[in-house]
Amino acid sequence: MRILLTGGSACGKSTYAETLATRLDSELYYIAAMKPYDDEAYAKIARHREMRSGKGFETIERYTDMAGIVLPKKGTVLLECICNLTANEMFDSTGAITDPYEAVIAGVNALANQCNNTIVVTNDVGSDNGAYEPETRRYIEVLGRINRKLAADFDCVIEMVCGIPIVLKGELPCL
Amino acid sequence: MVLIIGGQSSGKLDYVLSLGYTPDMVADGVIDDRPVVYNLQDIIAKDPRNASELLPLLENKELVICNEVGSGVIPVIKNDRMAREATGRLCVLLAKKATKVIRLICGIPTVIKGS
Repeated sequence: MRILLTGGSACGKSTYAETLATRLDSELYYIAAMKPYDDEAYAKIARHREMRSGKGFETIERYTDMAGIVLPKKGTVLLECICNLTANEMFDSTGAITDPYEAVIAGVNALANQCNNTIVVTNDVGSDNGAYEPETRRYIEVLGRINRKLAADFDCVIEMVCGIPIVLKGELPCL
Repeated sequence: MVLIIGGQSSGKLDYVLSLGYTPDMVADGVIDDRPVVYNLQDIIAKDPRNASELLPLLENKELVICNEVGSGVIPVIKNDRMAREATGRLCVLLAKKATKVIRLICGIPTVIKGS
């Protein structure tokens, strides 16, 4: 089963995604796509690590090219998150910009094909007034396009609001 | 009139085209005699002070499509702030007049008013 979780920042997506994963499977992989640049990122990563500890996840840090991951066993993957992965695939260290759509979709599909269950966390970044620099507007546009494609392909799409899951597509697995 | 809202790139136009509307029926950023108004937020931003004057021009359209612009940080630039406020308030008025309101998330439509 493939499940997409969306919502704003800090709405409880990660916690809920971890709970879903642990109830679906015992062979658990956590793909961390967040590239740490500063103390704030390290603090966020530490918080997520603490949340996951004891839940049985094997953590794989991978910032681009998800299609290159080979999982040791068939299990359940939690990929967090599409917004980081999209940014990592879009902007390289030289500042060059490429369209990340194909790489992100192919990466998610490659992971999903190796798993019983795939849980993917994304984010809603398009619901403000959009007054940004052109490259940020381009990022919002392509992230929206990726989210639409994943939502169309996945079995279940959930919007998180204040920690409450709202099912937009499909049905949650019986837990 | 049906109001269609959602964040930028959430799939609003694709959804409208899937209903059988064609691109030549869609007035992008303008109000003319075409039945579908798209990017209402851009029309409001041209003159946010007088946004309420748009209501009578919109309420008899078949479809009005507008971005949700009210989340995130309050904009620094005054006109952006006014446009954001005016968009939200006009959408409230449009939703009251609308027979149906549909919200798009990740390309998925959810009916939030009507059936």
